Amino acid sequence: MARLVDALRFRVRSLVQRGRADVDLDRELREHVERQTEENVARGMTPGEARRAALATFGGVQNVREEARDARGVAVIENLLRDFRYTLRALLREPMLLVAATLSIALGVGGNIAIFSLARAVVFAPPDARDPATLVNARVSHGSHVTYQRWRDLDAGGALERFAGYSIEGEVNWLDGGGGGTAAVSIVPMLVTANFFEVTGTPVARGRPFSATEARAELDPHLAVITDEFWRLRLGGDSAIIGRALVINGEPYTVVGVLPPHLRSVAGFGIAPAVYLPLNRSLGPESRPRNASIVQLVGRLKPGQTLSEARTALDALDRRLARQAGDTLYGGVQEFAPVNTFRTGKEARMIGLFLAVLGFVSLSVLLIACANVAGLLIARGTRRRQEIAVRLAIGGSRPRLIQQLMIEGLWLALIGTAAGVGLSLVFMRVVNSLSLPIPFPIVLNLTADRAVFLCAIGLVALTLVTCALLPALQATRMSLVPALKREEPFYVVRRFSARGVLLTGQVMISTILLVTAILFVRNLIRTQVTSPGFEVSHALVAQIGFVQGASDRGADRPAFLETAVGRVRSLPGVADVAYAASVPLTVYAGSSNGLSARIDGAAQTRHVEFSREIVGPRYFSTMGIRLLGGREFSETDAPGSPAVAIVNEVFARRFLGGKNPIGQRVQFVEDSSDFRVVGVVANSKMRTLGEDERAAVYVPLRQSTKDVRVGFVIARTQTDPTALVAPVRQALGALDKSVAITVEPMASALQFALLPSRIGASVLGTLGMLGLLLAAFGLYALVSYSVSRRIGEIAIRSALGASRGAVLRLVMRDATLHVGVGLALGLGVAALITSPLSAFLVAGLSATDPMSFGGTALVFVLVSLLASWLPARSAMRVSPVVAMRLD
Amino acid sequence: MRPSDLIQGTLDLLILKALAAEARHGWAIAKRIQVASGDVLQIKQGSLYPALHRLEAQGLIKSEWRENETGRDAKFYALTKAGRAALEAELTQWERLSAAIRLTLRNA
Repeated sequence: MARLVDALRFRVRSLVQRGRADVDLDRELREHVERQTEENVARGMTPGEARRAALATFGGVQNVREEARDARGVAVIENLLRDFRYTLRALLREPMLLVAATLSIALGVGGNIAIFSLARAVVFAPPDARDPATLVNARVSHGSHVTYQRWRDLDAGGALERFAGYSIEGEVNWLDGGGGGTAAVSIVPMLVTANFFEVTGTPVARGRPFSATEARAELDPHLAVITDEFWRLRLGGDSAIIGRALVINGEPYTVVGVLPPHLRSVAGFGIAPAVYLPLNRSLGPESRPRNASIVQLVGRLKPGQTLSEARTALDALDRRLARQAGDTLYGGVQEFAPVNTFRTGKEARMIGLFLAVLGFVSLSVLLIACANVAGLLIARGTRRRQEIAVRLAIGGSRPRLIQQLMIEGLWLALIGTAAGVGLSLVFMRVVNSLSLPIPFPIVLNLTADRAVFLCAIGLVALTLVTCALLPALQATRMSLVPALKREEPFYVVRRFSARGVLLTGQVMISTILLVTAILFVRNLIRTQVTSPGFEVSHALVAQIGFVQGASDRGADRPAFLETAVGRVRSLPGVADVAYAASVPLTVYAGSSNGLSARIDGAAQTRHVEFSREIVGPRYFSTMGIRLLGGREFSETDAPGSPAVAIVNEVFARRFLGGKNPIGQRVQFVEDSSDFRVVGVVANSKMRTLGEDERAAVYVPLRQSTKDVRVGFVIARTQTDPTALVAPVRQALGALDKSVAITVEPMASALQFALLPSRIGASVLGTLGMLGLLLAAFGLYALVSYSVSRRIGEIAIRSALGASRGAVLRLVMRDATLHVGVGLALGLGVAALITSPLSAFLVAGLSATDPMSFGGTALVFVLVSLLASWLPARSAMRVSPVVAMRLD
Repeated sequence: MRPSDLIQGTLDLLILKALAAEARHGWAIAKRIQVASGDVLQIKQGSLYPALHRLEAQGLIKSEWRENETGRDAKFYALTKAGRAALEAELTQWERLSAAIRLTLRNA
């Protein structure tokens, strides 16, 4: 080790003091000559003779100096620096190459960094909390949430140090008193247990967090910690906000703290609630059924406790608690992982899969880009054959030449990546300012941090290896004599040259990209023309967020909705209007059920799966869903009158057996509902546009036991619904100032359902086009290059009477072969890759859609014909006399 | 005998050995080897200095300018700890090799 340090120090000193080392050596050598001269004199020579003899033993002083310098190990570093300077100058002399390579790499790298930072923000980034390694997300018993009582028992149970609970479901109505008027605004709170801030250590920038003692739900706390974004955007950054009250659901909440900017919440996925409220009488357990699961668990490990110890302890505790509660089916840990690791669970898997597809696609684009750059460098290497041959012939070593060519590649990779990072920074700014059409507050705060920087370095390395290594090896492997004489190397006419293989690979990858791109674009077109089975273009939806909690308990919401319907009906331009508790294809679509049903009092029950929609009178005529038999709900379907329901065609066919469904009795065992079918309606889409025939049961809202937290008034309009948005909002707002009202055309309410296909189509479409362009460019470059090498041959052939067709065939033979093989391979691989994507596609569009595959093949044939015909044509125009004089 | 006639790598060994007793400057090293070999080995400066610089780069010897016996400044080379260890190893290796060659030449 000491030796290594010595040696290293010596080298660095030699390099830094290069001049001084040489002076040193000169002095040393002079001294040597002096001594030899003295000795020679002592032996009896004359001084002149003695000096000549001394010098003669030396050889050339310059040689010694060079060799000594090499021996000092200076050469390696010095050469490296020289190569960096030399190659940069050489590249700057070829601006076309530099621009083409930079653009290719920048697009490829930019896409990858963008997707990496996105993935990081959504799935990898740990929440801002104290010591995230000992903070764990836990799921026990039934699922994601537990009851308030279970949380208390787990917290006190001693399996872990503490447990906090939080929930981001639901919205509250905040009375915005700013700007003169007052209006209720629906905001998403994070409801937390009193000890939340103490357990998680979520930092607070101004004021303080609320403490576990002051915020106990039993004390009915009305405290709030608000996010920086809410404070700045909604409260104007009021510097005296601490201590002020916010009116939420009609009750005052005192602001005690403001969180730091861009805080990543414990909930993950970039979810950013506006306010953190402690559970209290209105929001907490007392406002909900006793057995309602209301909080998600996040626990802090005991000091020194390992993850597996904690998991075992929690598992035992939860099983015991479940047994005590008489809950024999469940109990035990389902998920247990520190908050700074991957999120597991279904949502995370879906998002992860989506990001993995994106990552794969963008890496493919980078590979195509690298193949282009490699192709350019190989071509350039061939152009420089003579220069390289000369250098090899006069003794330049191959490793040294490879080093130089690799440094050239490194420059390209560095410049391209720098440009790519620039592109991705622009992308991040755009994303950060974007608001997604989703009903959750998600803030993706993409930043270029250390991880992104490391990712960029990795991409530089990948780019370097893929685009420079092959050309460097290829360029320096040659037989010298023909190269010096400027004879054609053999590999140009060889069918599978390195460039050819690159091109084949490039065509293959772009084929895959293009197939998926066309598939998703067709999917998007289909989803937009697919009728959901109800009126979209001439309908609008008003969402009514009721105040939840004690102050409003017992309010007659159906009555409110009926009044609202009456007000809207009186507006001019409204054709029909109804209320409902759900709107299909939005996040407020009806609930999915799988229950045991007893049909018409049969002895046997059967398992039925269906969507349950809670609606009001005239719902079907308003929505434009055809009534196939029986009747709609009316005002008389109320509590006290016989329980009724309407089913759709699929439900009737699937579960009610060919008989006339009207009048049949249906009982669900689990929730002890018992009703008679009074109507049958046409099928429509419930949850996704891609779904195929989903069974549905419609229940009158008046007879539903479900608590209505959000209601909807749906209106069918005679003209463009946007004109009615403002009048409807005004009419409804006048009814009650405390409810939060959002009015929008049905089409915009459905944006959420179209979001996945939109994103898929735009991202894959863009990347697919990019891949096609890059591949076309690579093809064009290859063909024109090989034509330029063979111009002499072509000229001779035409001079000897070869027809234009024969020459064209000659030129295009190679291109056709490479494209053909690449295309065939690409289509094959695409067939394997697209099949798992079918979950994202609408019904009726198969993953091996012939249009997408055929279209891709056609596009490639056309593009490759064009890319090789252009250079072939120019080759045929060259006069034989000129061409033969070239060599 | 010219150094190129020496078995490859032997020059390094000779230099290390010449420095085993005390620090010497370049000329003295050459002189020492010449005298010790009974004037058979004459190290050319063209081989000596690159070898010295290589050994220094390898951390086996270190150098220092100081006054020589005639009162002029000369660059003195001395073994480092690693150099001393390398010398030991090389010597053992050399002994084994030369013994083997001697044996072969006598018996074969």
